[in-house]
Formats: sequence, C-alpha cells, structure tokens
Amino acid sequence: MRTAKATTYPEKNGGITLQHKGFWYKLWQQKQLMWMSVPMLLYVFLFNYFPLWGWITAFMDYNPSVPLFQNEWVGLKNFTWLFGRAEFLRSIRNTFAMAAINLVFGFVFPILLALFLNEIKNMRFKRTVQTVTYLPHFLSWVIVVGIAQTIFASDGAVNQMLMALGIADQPIFFLGEGKYFWWLVGVINVWKECGWNTIIYLSAMSSIDPALYEAAEIDGAGRFKKMLNITLPCIKSTFMVLLIMNIGHLMEAGFEIQYLMGQNMVMDWSQTIDIFALKYGITKGQYSRAIAAGIFKSVVSITLMLAANITAKRFGEDTLL
Amino acid sequence: MKTAVSVKRERSYHRKNSIFPIINGTVMIIIMFFTLYPVINTIAISFNDGTDAVRGGIGLWPRVFSVKSYQTIFADESIYNAFFITVARTLIQTILNIVVTSMLAYALSRREYVLRKFITTVFVLTMYVNAGLIPNYLLIQRTLGISKSFWVYILPTMVSCFNMIVIRTFIMGLPEALVESARIDGAGDLYLFWKIIFPLCMPVLATVALFVAVGAWNSWFDTHLYNAGKVKLHTLQYLLKMKLATTTNSANAAMTSADAAASTTMTTPVTIRAAITVVSAAPIVVIYPFLQRYFVVGLNVGGVKG
Amino acid sequence: MRKLISLVLAMVLLATVFAIPAMAESTPDPMTVTVFVGEARDQPSSDNKVFKMIEEEFGLTFEFEFLAGDLDETLGVKIAGEDYADMMDGGNSEKLIAAGAFVNLMDYISAEKTPNLYTHIEPYLTRLLNEDGELFIVPNYGRYYNTQDYGMNYVNGPAFFLQKKVLAWAGYPTIKTMDEYFDVIERYIAENPTNDNGAANEGFAILCEDWRAFCLFNPVQHLMGRPNDGDVIIDIDDNYKTEAYVIQDYAKPYYKKLNELYNKGLISQDTFVMNFDQYVAKLSSGTILGMFDQTWNFQVATDALIAAEMYDSTYQGMGIVYGAEQAGKEVEEHYLNGTVINVNRGFGISVNCADPERLVMFMENMLSDEWQKVVNWGIEGEDYSVVDGRMVRTFEQIQNAANAVWKNANMSYVLTNSMPKKQGEMEDGNKWDPSVQPENYFAQMNDYDKEFLAAYGVKRPLDFFNDPIELAPYGEAWQIDVTTDQDANDAKAAFQDVQRKMLPQIIMAADGEFDAKWDEFVQAVEDVPISDFVDFMQDEVLKLVEKNQ
Repeated sequence: MRTAKATTYPEKNGGITLQHKGFWYKLWQQKQLMWMSVPMLLYVFLFNYFPLWGWITAFMDYNPSVPLFQNEWVGLKNFTWLFGRAEFLRSIRNTFAMAAINLVFGFVFPILLALFLNEIKNMRFKRTVQTVTYLPHFLSWVIVVGIAQTIFASDGAVNQMLMALGIADQPIFFLGEGKYFWWLVGVINVWKECGWNTIIYLSAMSSIDPALYEAAEIDGAGRFKKMLNITLPCIKSTFMVLLIMNIGHLMEAGFEIQYLMGQNMVMDWSQTIDIFALKYGITKGQYSRAIAAGIFKSVVSITLMLAANITAKRFGEDTLL
Repeated sequence: MKTAVSVKRERSYHRKNSIFPIINGTVMIIIMFFTLYPVINTIAISFNDGTDAVRGGIGLWPRVFSVKSYQTIFADESIYNAFFITVARTLIQTILNIVVTSMLAYALSRREYVLRKFITTVFVLTMYVNAGLIPNYLLIQRTLGISKSFWVYILPTMVSCFNMIVIRTFIMGLPEALVESARIDGAGDLYLFWKIIFPLCMPVLATVALFVAVGAWNSWFDTHLYNAGKVKLHTLQYLLKMKLATTTNSANAAMTSADAAASTTMTTPVTIRAAITVVSAAPIVVIYPFLQRYFVVGLNVGGVKG
Repeated sequence: MRKLISLVLAMVLLATVFAIPAMAESTPDPMTVTVFVGEARDQPSSDNKVFKMIEEEFGLTFEFEFLAGDLDETLGVKIAGEDYADMMDGGNSEKLIAAGAFVNLMDYISAEKTPNLYTHIEPYLTRLLNEDGELFIVPNYGRYYNTQDYGMNYVNGPAFFLQKKVLAWAGYPTIKTMDEYFDVIERYIAENPTNDNGAANEGFAILCEDWRAFCLFNPVQHLMGRPNDGDVIIDIDDNYKTEAYVIQDYAKPYYKKLNELYNKGLISQDTFVMNFDQYVAKLSSGTILGMFDQTWNFQVATDALIAAEMYDSTYQGMGIVYGAEQAGKEVEEHYLNGTVINVNRGFGISVNCADPERLVMFMENMLSDEWQKVVNWGIEGEDYSVVDGRMVRTFEQIQNAANAVWKNANMSYVLTNSMPKKQGEMEDGNKWDPSVQPENYFAQMNDYDKEFLAAYGVKRPLDFFNDPIELAPYGEAWQIDVTTDQDANDAKAAFQDVQRKMLPQIIMAADGEFDAKWDEFVQAVEDVPISDFVDFMQDEVLKLVEKNQ
C-alpha cells in the first residue's frame, strides 16, 4: 500500500524509472482497468480458492462430523489406494479416451455444421435448421440414452439398417461390447450437443466483415475457397482458445451418459474417474478418496492446459493465457 | 462497384455450383430429422396415457392421448411461485453476469494491462480446480451465511471464466484502431468499454447470455443444497426434479391393486419425465429466436473500421 | 378496602394459574417444526385435510425438506454444517446417528409417559437399543399388531414369475423346482414362438440395470431355500455360517441352466443391456414368459397389462427351488420370512430441536387408534365406510388413494410414512393397512384372476408359497450397514461390479466354454477379496444373534 502511495507522483522520478517503479506507475495509469478487474479477482479468491482448504482432507481419513483437524492424517494413503486399483487406472484410460473423442468430434462437427449453415442463403431456412439442431441439448441424458438404447439394440433401427444394406449379417451387439462403447458415447454426444456447440462459432462468424467475401468473390474465389481462406481464419482465434481450454478438460468425459449406459458388461470401458469416485468415495462416506481423485484430475488438467498453451505460443497462435 | 467481368464470373460460379445448395439443403433436412426425432418423440410421450406409454413403441404421435401428466405437474400449487423465482433468478443472474464478465473480459483484453497475465491465469485455473462439495457448502452456509435465501442463486454465479474467455477473444478480434482513436480523444477505459466495445460485442454477448440463461434456468442443485427447506424459494427445475423422483418412487413402491382401478389415475415415470422436459425446456427454447438474430445476421463491424 | 383489593387480586391470580392449563388444552402454542426426509416426496398442499386437523389439535405446522439429489451427498453436507432439521428421517440413518445428530429418545419414552410408543417398541427393545441403552429413531414400519402375518394377499417380494397363460396352457401344474420351471417355458415356446399379436416370445428375461441387478444376483439363495438376505446366504443350522452364494458350487447349476437357455435362444442378449424402461415395455407387451424379480419392481408393467386387458399375460409368482441333485440336499421352499422391524428407517429428533418432548408426545398421540385410522384410512364417510363392522372403500375411494394429487390434499403420507405406525390387525379384525384389507383386494379382482385361482384351488396369489418361516435372530442380513467398515465396503462394491460384468458373459458363453468362464468368475470374486466382505457380515450376523437370542 505504501509503495502504491509513493508512486502517486511518478512524474517526480523524471525520465529514469526503475523496472518496478514502472510497474506501479503503469498500474496507477491503469486504475480504471483495475476497477474493472480487481474486485472480481477478490471474488474468485473467496468463491473458488478459499474453499480449496478442502484439499487437505485428501491426506486425512476425513469424516465431516469430526472437527477438521481432529481427523486422522493418513499421508498419501488415499492416493496409493487409488493408484493401486486396476479399476481406477482403467477409469483414467476411459475418461481420457472418451474425452479425446468428444474433443475431436466436438470441434469437427459443430464447425462443419456452422460452415454449412453459413452457406444457406435463405434466412428463414437457416434459422429453422439452427433452432432445430440445438433442441436436443434440452433433453435430459435419461431421455437421450433411452432413445439411443432403443436405436442401438439388436432389433433397433441401426442394426436393421446395417442388415438391410448387407453390411452386417447378424445384429451387432453395440451395447454389450466394450469396444463400441467409447464411440457410441462420441456419436451420442454429437447428436445431443452438436447444434448447441455451433452457436459459439456462428457468433464468431457473424463478426466477419462481409466486404471480405465480396472482395474474394471478385477475385473469383469459389465457395470452398472462401470457407478455407476467410471463414476459417476468422474464427481461428476462437477455435484456438477453445481448443486449449478443452485440452485442459481431457479429464472430463461427462458423467451421466456413462453412468446410464455403462452399468453392465461394458463396465471396463465405461467407468470414468467421476463414476469411480462416486462409487468408492462419496456414496461410501469416503470423501477423502473423492477429493484425492479430484486433485489428481486438477493437476493433470492444468498440466495439459499449460502444455497446450505453451505449444500454441511457440507456433505463434492465439493463446489462452 | 462490380465490374461486368466480376458479374459474369459470379454467374458462372453460381451455375457451376448450383448443385451445392441442393445438397447442402438436403443434408440439413436429414440432420434436422435426426435432431427433431427425439424432441417430437418426447412431446408425443408427454401427451400419452401413462400406463399405456410404459409399453413403449411410441413414435411421433401419442397412441392414447392424455394430458394427465401435465395436470399432475400443474396441480402442484407451488409451481407458479417456482416459475416466478426461476424467471427472477435467470434474469438477474444473466444481466449481472453479462455486465461483470464483459467488463472483466475487456480489462483482460488490454494487452498493456500490467495485471493481465496474473488475473487471467487466476481465472483460467478456476476451471480446473474444484474444492469439493463440503468446503463449498460450508462457505455458503457458515462463512457467508447466505443459505436459505435468494442470494445463493445470485452471489456464487456472478462471473464465469469460460464466458469471460469467449468475450475476451471476441474483443481482441475487434480492430485495435477503435480503441486507439478513442484514446487519443482522452477517453478512459470505463468509457471506452461501455460506449464503444460493449455495443460492438452484441453477437458474443447474445451467445454468452444464452449460455448463462440456460445454465441458470436449468440449475436445481443450489436449491437442493441450500433452499430445499424453503418452499417459497424453490425453483422450477428443482420442483420438476422432485416430481419425477416422487413418481419414480411411488411406481417402485406401488401396491398391487388387482384391477385397473388404481392404474387409470396413475402417472408413470415415462410420461412424467417427458412432460417435465417439455415444461422445463419450452420457456427457454422460446427465447432463442430472439437472441438468434444477433449472431445469425452478420454485424458489419467493418463499417466502424473505415 | 385494601383487603378486598388484595383478595380480588389473589383471585385473579389464582384464576390465571388455573386458566393457563385450561387454555393450553384448547389452543396449544403454535410451533413450526422443520422436517427432513431423505427421499423424494411432494409438498402437501396448503389446505391439506389431515395437516389441518393436526394443526388444530397439536398446534404444529411443518416445514418440509425432501430429497431431490443424492442421499449420501446430502447427509454429508448436513453433517458437516450441523444443519439439522427438528425431525429427520435420513433414509439409512446410521450416518446421522454416528454424527451425533439425534437426541436419545429413551429420555422421553416410558411405559407411564408414553404408553402407545412404549407398547409399540417393547417387543423389539433389545434389537433397537444400542449398548448404552439409547434409542435414536423409532422405526416407521414392521411393527405388526395382533398377527405375525404381513396380511398380504400376494407376494410383494422376490419370486420366479411366469405368465398365467403359460400355466393355463400347461394345465395349471404345480411347479416346484427349477427344472420344472424352465421345462414349462421351453415347451411353451416351442409350441408358441410368437404371442397373439405376432411378436416373438422370449423365454426368460434378466434385468441387469444399476441397482435393479438383484434380478441377476439374488436367485441362488432362494433356490437354496432361504429368504432374502441380500448378497450372502446364512446357514442357521450351522452356527450362522455366512457365505457369498454366487461363487459356491451350488450356484453353478442355475447359471449353467441360463447358459443352456441362452444357447437355445430362449434368452436374448439384449436382456443384459436393457434399461428399466425397456424391460417394462417388454413385460407389458406380453412377450416375456418368465423372469426372476420382485413384484413391486415391475408393478407398472402389471398395471399396463391390466389396462390393456391382457390379463393372461400378467404374472404369477412362485417359490422355485433346486432339486436335490443340484443343491446336494433336499430343499424346502422359504421365500417368505417372518415380519421384520425396519430398524434403520424412521424419524429421529435432532439436537437442534427446541422442544424434543413435545415432538415425542406428538408421535405418542399420533399412535392412538383414532389417529392411526385417520392416517391409514382417512375420515369415515369421506374416505371409507363401515359395513357390518368391516371397513370398506368404494371404487372411487380406492382410485383416490392411488392418486398422487388427491393424496397431497387429503393424506398426511409425506409426514406419517416416516412416523411409527400400526400394521397388522385392529382389535376388531380390520386391517390397519387398507391395501391389504381382503374386501378391498377381492372386490377389485378381475374375472380372469378369479378363474385362474379357482383352477389352482387357492384363495390368494400368496397361497402359491409356503408359510413364512420364523425370522432368524439376526433379522434379514441385507439390513446390515456395511458402510461402517471400509474394507468390507470396498469389497462389496467391487464384488457387485464383478458380478455385473462377468455373470452375463458366463450366461452367454458358447458351448464348452462355460466351465472355464465360471472358474474365471469365481477367481475374480475371490481376488476382490470377497473375504473382506463375507468376514465382516459373519461377525455382524453373530453379534446380532448374540444380542437378540
């Protein structure tokens, strides 16, 4: 605080400013920006960082009815327990695999849909398509999974189609064989969320200057050339930022869809970290284990996100940080 | 000014690609069918008789028409109050979130801002850390003491990092010249943000408003955790979730009646679930077209540039 | 003069002293009671008939908190925040008791002060009180008056089920053993590959979804002649020896049989992945001939079949057991157990409550015969009538009692379901529970069922089973709370996962691969290690036996 006061008269320092004095000077100059951001900084410290004291319970045998520091310290016991379970290691693999599939599908399909929506000249049709495609977002997972299970059953629409087309000679057991599970989750996610995820790209595209397209047309650029040379570059910064953010979310593969679809013979492929933490943690009163799993996820997520950010920076792309 | 040559080029280009809009349109219609099917199916089930619906196989039209599920939902007198609470929290939360988040996004978009990197990092990390349920609960219930009040709907959700980043990216894509020319005129950052940047951000703000509003509209967990004992503060989604759970419970605990006497008055989880989806989604889905125009119609940002 | 004034004053004073209890008699102090119930229920409507009566008589109004989310999670935060309602029914209440959330009710309950409550719990006192003689919750169900019989007309619990038309087709045979049961199915399906609507019949269905996978896990204990003890079987003749039955040699014949049926095409592979809604849809379309389940679990399907007038596709439950060669001994059927007190469920009064005594007295008064009639049956003349001393309901009144909206306005279920209540018979022979009153049950029965029962020469669907056996001193083992022991807990979770994963694979094994897969399964369960769970259960069972014998 005192330093801040000292820098109230920065011009007295004349032309020669020390590095840190430069900092305070700039900060003073930017007090309006501070007003716009520092209160929110305090806010996240209170709401997001202060509760992190809870992380110490990962090193305890935590029981919420006992005052915090009267719980027994157990060191890394909860972590060694987790990593000693084959199911947990499998659930890491599953989480990662499904999150990766969701990441790729979650970029490719919405961007494609957005690009092609952008090509529709009839405004009413365009709006209709967009409204309709985003509707499944509002269906609960129970409903979507229910419909999917009917469609992918042995006598369901997909198998009937495959057999009519001669691709399969007997029904494929989509729901009972682990090797299909990750891809089913990917496909169903696209179905439910593709239209919704398109919104963000459409909003990015809406700020593209139409003059750019006109100019390209004059130069004789075709439809696809315009997409490639104008639309995509213009949404690139949005894309990059979302990509880095979502790489950090590779430890999040969703919860409900796996829970609803995967409680059977496909369990070795369906169980995610969150389901594991619920099953062996929260519902058994083992809060410490759930917290330990959460810390593990956070550490991996932050590492991945930072790595993605550094890579992007090295290639001169837009970055998150 | 188009030259004759360019007009000619354009024509040939259209002729050459005239097949594209047809393919594109067809693909879109197929996609619409796939996405619309579950929606219409849900609506059809919601208007079907409950006991009949458990037999499955309902497609795009109810088999035995009934509005029993809706009657059951709206028979609950507290649903109207819950609707009001939900609208109130959605409006307040969305407006507050938009103002606060976009302000923050503007500050963090200024490359010269010395705290930019630090604050951005602090915010981004919040997306990847989670303290767990109990510490968060104790913060609200003990430290802040705002449980059993309307504040739990507003205070913990004022700013979202994801939305901040989305807005920031948009602002950074705006022409730098806008800010610089205003700065030469001596405008401060608050003025710049409010008078110049904020209006230009409409497409992204509409997007973020949609995200926040849908999130606020659909949330039930905060009611469950903090306000479950306060009937007057129940939200729509919480009530509907409870309704579904009670229907499921009573179906599980049902006693045999040897005849259809009881079953004719019964609702089943299948139809209640569908009706709840319709009741809870309809209001927020209706809002969409109003926001849509902000990001479907291209805003001519370039106009300001010139 | 002064004397007169003091006399008047004294009289006034005296009058007030006497007036206070008199006034309290007519209008008790109003008090708002906060209530937490660990399951989903609808808020009662504000003009609810019974709650009005309660307010008038006791001055109590209620602020309810029901559960929309996960129970364990919610109890966790409530305990951490010591955020307790005055009265709490925490589902499985062990956690709240362990956290010290409840007051000891024995401080308020005694034969003199609370005769109704005391009589209610007296037969089970040893079972209910802990080592220190404390009682924290009063069980909400399982206390039967004037009878040891559940008073049921049908079996609500586990059984092997078969469509009535299959039994009719086979000439109403008495089916006792597993081989007979599956034999009828096989013969029927050979002759009737499709049902009346042309849909393909499926011999046997196994629901494996989530917690409902008991349809896959549980049959073997019953085939061995024991009632439902959850995941373990207990030999009451051999010092309560406890073991996990699915991995024993005697479990093999059942799954081997299913494997044969699967390879013959009588079980569909989809049965292992279908969700509950799909299961119900199949049952109610009348294509599933048989399954192992519990009646309440597929009640919606039964209702749908009746509504569609497909009476012959509804199910009759049977107590199927192993033949001597499969079990290694002669097995007697015991699907039904003696009445069991619901130890873990019911209201406790929390340490945050300002006036626990008043709430105990409220429970006491609500246990009176007059209030119990109101709670269970409603108001005479409105919700039931008495004909020749028997309590009966009209068609409309039965419909009302099943209608959630009507119940919200006219019954106190949301509160009183968690309170101690009378079951069994009243002094005059009427049933406390209207749904088991025989008049009501038989008045509603359709003609098909009447003829069906007549063909078997029995009165009630219940008569297909042997009489209940005497309840073992440990109660029913599924009531034992495993969450108190971390290793047992982990073992149980892992054990169920292994069953979920591997039992379907065993049933689907190709000819000749069954034995190898079976051994693999047994090994996997032993590797859990299952002994962590079984040893814990063995200890608990023996503790309970010692306590209750």
